[in-house]
Amino acid sequence: MTGTETMSLNRFVRAALLFALTVLVCVLSGREFLSMRAADAIYPSPGLTAARALSDYFPALKGTPGDTPVYVYAGPKDGGNVLVIGGAHPNEPAGFVTAVVLAENIRAVRGKVVIVPRANASGFTHSDPQEGSPQRFPIATASGERWFRLGSRVTNPIHQWPDPTIYVTPTGQTLAGIEARNLNRAYPGKAGGNLTEKVAYGIMELIKKERIDLGIDLHESAPEYPVINAIVFHENSADLAATAQMELQAEGFEFRLEASPPNLRGLSHREWGDAAGIRAILMETPNASHGRLKGKPSIGLIIDGKDKFYEKAARLGRLFVPFGPDGIPLRDRVARHLAGLRAILAGLTELDPGKAVEVEDLPTADRVRVEGIGAFLR
Amino acid sequence: MRIVYHLIVLYLTVHFLWYLAREKKFWKQAGIVLVLIMFLLRLFLVE
Repeated sequence: MTGTETMSLNRFVRAALLFALTVLVCVLSGREFLSMRAADAIYPSPGLTAARALSDYFPALKGTPGDTPVYVYAGPKDGGNVLVIGGAHPNEPAGFVTAVVLAENIRAVRGKVVIVPRANASGFTHSDPQEGSPQRFPIATASGERWFRLGSRVTNPIHQWPDPTIYVTPTGQTLAGIEARNLNRAYPGKAGGNLTEKVAYGIMELIKKERIDLGIDLHESAPEYPVINAIVFHENSADLAATAQMELQAEGFEFRLEASPPNLRGLSHREWGDAAGIRAILMETPNASHGRLKGKPSIGLIIDGKDKFYEKAARLGRLFVPFGPDGIPLRDRVARHLAGLRAILAGLTELDPGKAVEVEDLPTADRVRVEGIGAFLR
Repeated sequence: MRIVYHLIVLYLTVHFLWYLAREKKFWKQAGIVLVLIMFLLRLFLVE
């Protein structure tokens, strides 16, 4: 064998070894990547009366990444119908974890509660780029750790691409192109629109077909954002929001009241009220893990909500919520959402007894703060 | 559109494989592999 042939053979062996290494890297990273597409398990409470999918209300979503579970809890007594949405923004964990806690605990006594815990299912299948966010976070339960996906604020670009330069919402407002994948800018949706608009349209169809009277959208916002610890309300729900706020203050929870601006289109608290004529409320809790001032993203930041940069920002008066060394843990944010839900349902009963919705086994904020979220997950 | 995208990625992937086999210098082969990983992932994982 000549020297040139040996060199050539070495080159091919090297190429084969490098290719094998490439395949190994692809298999390992591909497995992790694909695992993001698997939906977290939800174990509905025995009070569940019907498990459906959003595609049952809008069949064009069937088989698409926009389809998502819908849980219905109907009580034996007549009353109102309430829709609770979590996961419109899958990077706001208290929103969707609260919806899961509800789905795994409640039983309706009067009226009906419809829960969509993962409203933007596609947003749960990827992470916000260049953020270095953890892909999942754990919550300890009696049956072991439950892991939840931390997704992105917007629909996965694999499912909806490309973004336009400027996005025009279904009601005609112009926004930055990336907002074309933001579910909470896509209402009232379009039957023939992009995937996000179809999901929004599906939720509007659900509102019509389930005869919803009140919609509640659970969110989180960054501590430096002024709409925080807030109840955002459509003008048709000002009385309900104010009643709930008074009840919450009596329990020691400070909530701001924010009127939904009539010229800010595409949001749930605007379009649910305008297009479907239902009472519409959105709640925000403070989440340091998706704020711009945070330090290193980590599971600890999501769960414990501690961050020294936010502490400093609070000392400098740059935040709209108090932020101390104890941070704002997920447990407290979920407790706050649960307290808000309880107060809103009580307010609805007080203001409109014919539309009253009563539920049993709704975890109290105090118990969640003391026992942890995991005590209320199966 | 999706099939066009996959065909473009497949075309470039085959080229990278060809260059990997043809290249004599180790570090250039290693550089090709780094790009090849992205293309293989796109080829098999992008829906």
